Amino acid sequence: MDRSQIVAGIDSGHVDTKAVVMSGGKVLGYASAPTRLDPATAAGTALNGALADAGMSQSELAGIVSTGIFRDVLESPALHVTATVSEHMADARGALFSNQKARTVVDLGGNVHKIIRFDGAGNLVDVAQNDKCADGLGIFLSTAAHSLGLSEPELSELALGSTGSHAIAIQCSLSAQTDATDLVCQGIAAADVARAALGYVVERVASLCRSMPLAEEVVVAGGLAQSAALVGQLRTALGVHLSLPERPQYVGAIGAAVRGQP
Amino acid sequence: MISAGIDVGAVSTKAVILVDGEPRASAQTPTLGPEASAAAAFDTALARAGLRREDVRCVVATGRGRARVSFATRTVTEIAGAAAGAVRIWGPSVRTVLDAGGESCRVIHCTERGRATSFLWNDKCAAGIGRSLETLAGMINVDVTGIGELALRAGESPRLSDFCAVYALSELLDLVRSKVPAEQLVAAYHDAMARRISTLVGRAGVTKSFVIVGGLARNAGIVNRVDALLKVDRLAAKPDWDPVFTVALGAAVFAEGFSR
Repeated sequence: MDRSQIVAGIDSGHVDTKAVVMSGGKVLGYASAPTRLDPATAAGTALNGALADAGMSQSELAGIVSTGIFRDVLESPALHVTATVSEHMADARGALFSNQKARTVVDLGGNVHKIIRFDGAGNLVDVAQNDKCADGLGIFLSTAAHSLGLSEPELSELALGSTGSHAIAIQCSLSAQTDATDLVCQGIAAADVARAALGYVVERVASLCRSMPLAEEVVVAGGLAQSAALVGQLRTALGVHLSLPERPQYVGAIGAAVRGQP
Repeated sequence: MISAGIDVGAVSTKAVILVDGEPRASAQTPTLGPEASAAAAFDTALARAGLRREDVRCVVATGRGRARVSFATRTVTEIAGAAAGAVRIWGPSVRTVLDAGGESCRVIHCTERGRATSFLWNDKCAAGIGRSLETLAGMINVDVTGIGELALRAGESPRLSDFCAVYALSELLDLVRSKVPAEQLVAAYHDAMARRISTLVGRAGVTKSFVIVGGLARNAGIVNRVDALLKVDRLAAKPDWDPVFTVALGAAVFAEGFSR
């Protein structure tokens, strides 16, 4: 494949499907679509969106590389996936694309969070993934936002303004939601509940991060990294500098596309 | 006589206006804060009844946020509210009420006069069944009633863990990799949650007559499976009564009594 060729990367996640179109080491287009238990349809929608964003058509693509939990089931008729890449590899390559000095990526997805360490060439060194009880952090935050009558960005924005110190259970997302609900029913301000909800997520992620040494620099990726409040709290909890890509939710898709280029 | 009951639930707040013993109007709003949501539901229900706050003799609050409703004269527990409301709607034969809400499920035993005599609350791991169904509905872009109908349309469905809603949702997402169609996944999730609810009811024990109230009573996917698992004759839903308002109605029934 020559370097000027145009390659698409698709990251088929539990909750959202992300697509990018890349050429010559540049991202030309981005788009995402909710997965809605139907990865093939979502992949088609995200890819068409990314192509439209880049002002291109699918016939111009030299290849489509998929990654993410559902990378193997993207075979809607119009979608010719030419290669697949593991989520860990895609995260490593995507993190390196955003920051050449990166050696660790913390991926905060809708249902799964994971930490991947890699060398300067993007070869995997170590991987840690949450245990089952800590599944669904992203889904929890969406639910918590919804229960406060907010969107996810609004929840994050509101939490930034809170100085509250309410804490909620850290066993699992179910107990956390029960506790968040209790705070709401006690009349605690939405901003303080939002901060507590983010605090639960951060504590969960931080405890996984403490299970392995984080080689600097550390990139945060995934949909949850779009929350400035969350990344801020995580930085405080871990005490390390966190490198935040411009569009962290696309790190995996970019990594897949990068793998598809020479 | 005019009385009102307000059920400040974990997920939504419901208000019922009772005029001379008959439910005249009701309203439901998300619980974003107990005081504001209670006021919003109350005022909407009043407007629908063509009444003003000062027309109401007594307001009783119930539900998780009941202590934070400043304009309520009294409070009663959601246990008491469910029993009183169910007997008012289904009559004195009711002895067992399953109140299946957004956040928790409770089984209440009661007398023919609607007084609760015992109850069993779900344990912590079985919390949030209603809310998790809303989450699933949001993920596939259907409404909460629609998701129950969708579950009914599937024939066979895989078996998911019924220990915990977080596990069940993770297992469901993993099954997408095996290309299980969405309606089977939705059916499998309803099945797991219905098993969870039925275990609670089984543990509490059912004395006839049995009724289901609360938001999940609107979900045909859950109710049908609970019926199949429990094999108990259940009093059918009333065509003119939305079961989500039963606990609020019960609070209004208490309000009626308090103002006598």
